[in-house]
Amino acid sequence: MTVEANDALAEQVREALRLVIDPELGYNIVDLGLIYFVGIADGGVANIVMTTTTKGCPATNYLKEGARDGAWSVSGIEFVDVALTYEPPWTPEMMTDEAKEHLGIRGGGGW
Amino acid sequence: MVGASLSRWSMSYFAVALLALIVAEGLMTAGFGFPVAPIHAPETLALVHLIAIGWLSLLMLGALFQFVPVLVARPLYSDWLPLPTLALLLAGLTALLAGFLQLAGVISVPHSCFPAASILLGAGFSLALWNLGRTLWAARPLPVPARFVTVGLAGIAATALLGIIFALTLGGVISNPALLAIASQGVPVHAIAGLGGWLTFTAMGVSYRLLAMFMLAPELDGTSTRAAFCLGTAALTLLILGGVGAIWMDGNLDFVLIAAATLGLACAALYWKDMIHLYRARKRRVIELNSRMAGFALASLASAVVLTLILALLGVLPRHGGAIAFITAFGWLSGLALAMLYKIIAFMTWLECYGPVLGKRPTPRVQDLVTERVAFPWFLVYFIAVWSGTVALLCDQATLFRVCAGAMLLATVGLCIQFVRTRFLDNVPVPARFPEGVRRPRLLLSLTQPR
Repeated sequence: MTVEANDALAEQVREALRLVIDPELGYNIVDLGLIYFVGIADGGVANIVMTTTTKGCPATNYLKEGARDGAWSVSGIEFVDVALTYEPPWTPEMMTDEAKEHLGIRGGGGW
Repeated sequence: MVGASLSRWSMSYFAVALLALIVAEGLMTAGFGFPVAPIHAPETLALVHLIAIGWLSLLMLGALFQFVPVLVARPLYSDWLPLPTLALLLAGLTALLAGFLQLAGVISVPHSCFPAASILLGAGFSLALWNLGRTLWAARPLPVPARFVTVGLAGIAATALLGIIFALTLGGVISNPALLAIASQGVPVHAIAGLGGWLTFTAMGVSYRLLAMFMLAPELDGTSTRAAFCLGTAALTLLILGGVGAIWMDGNLDFVLIAAATLGLACAALYWKDMIHLYRARKRRVIELNSRMAGFALASLASAVVLTLILALLGVLPRHGGAIAFITAFGWLSGLALAMLYKIIAFMTWLECYGPVLGKRPTPRVQDLVTERVAFPWFLVYFIAVWSGTVALLCDQATLFRVCAGAMLLATVGLCIQFVRTRFLDNVPVPARFPEGVRRPRLLLSLTQPR
């Protein structure tokens, strides 16, 4: 697959991940900045690196598996690997402007 | 797995605890126990233990089984131990209440119920401590909120141990002079260790983390937080070791209590300062009802501290100990508990029902499981009733106090109806309520669905 095709597929995966919401904040995990990386390898392998708003969150496994199922729903994706990381730790600054607006976040969103 | 999962039995703890609260408020409304009866009367002691163990301790344990794993980002040591723990604590509480009612002459049973109560409650609290203690031990070094909880657990160990000595003495089992001395003089140590050490210190630890999470505020780990922890730990250590030492060595117990209270009040002041900072530094401009109502509970804690200082300066603190205990138990601890339950029930129910279909189907938000405009008036009635009830106690107005207790009962029932509606997803708009693969949850038991 070409680089362009992989990029297009990665964008489709990111779009599919918008179906997954953080239950507490009530907004999708992509615009909340919880998805750190989406990459597509040959053979339709999606590699996702994500985090949660707080370490130890009881929703962690559901979010991780939700991301896996969301990515799997994209045509052309054969395998999904979701890795969880807390480096760097998430801050509200990582949200898109729309997400900040939705949540009424003050200032830049940094701690 | 990183971190925590859903606690299976916490909903059962919450339901039993709320039932105990409703019964206790009903008894207060009916004029059972203090202030109609003396503060040391068996009826009052039955009421106090129904609130302290049946309501506050069961609620706290149910919350800890869910949130200690969140605090330390590790799973609970045992997911099945909470059930026998609950059964033992309930049986022990029933025996303890029966023992007090025997003393009051309300019921007549051939044998004292106190020895059975001490064994059952001792076993129940030991199981809880073992489960939570092993979870915390495996997660060292602990973050500051988890350290608060650890010291709080030491507080329940000490409180329960003293309680067992009292119960065995009342049951006629103990004849050792040293233990009899503790039984006759150690009630203030037992009461303050329970209310201040176990319940307040643990609530402080949990609130540091939960309020930061819910309001998107930075987690506090600075000098002030660490100083609050050290002062509180020192207060509890002095209270228990110094208190027992003073009793055994015929020392001045009042001096120990005053010294411990001074440290404890300084801890509460620092904690309050931290909470103000947390609210001011929050990123969410519009905060949810649970966080707003937690603010009312924090105001009650501040009122309890200020009231204690004023009454102590006026030299009338011992006479108004009941009012201080009341605003601490109902304004601060119960207020915070009801506020947090409002969120916790919604959050746990969401995880159970909608977590498994994340990424497969659109899901509602946690906030869609509650209706804040309906719950808010009940919270308002509850807090106004508690604050009025405190004034009634200070003014020795027993009838007015019963009216306030009735209003608290009404508000609690109103909130419980909201909790049940949340649990059964009744507030979620119908089209989004049951997407494919989602079932109506059970009231008392959390199930994780196969994926």
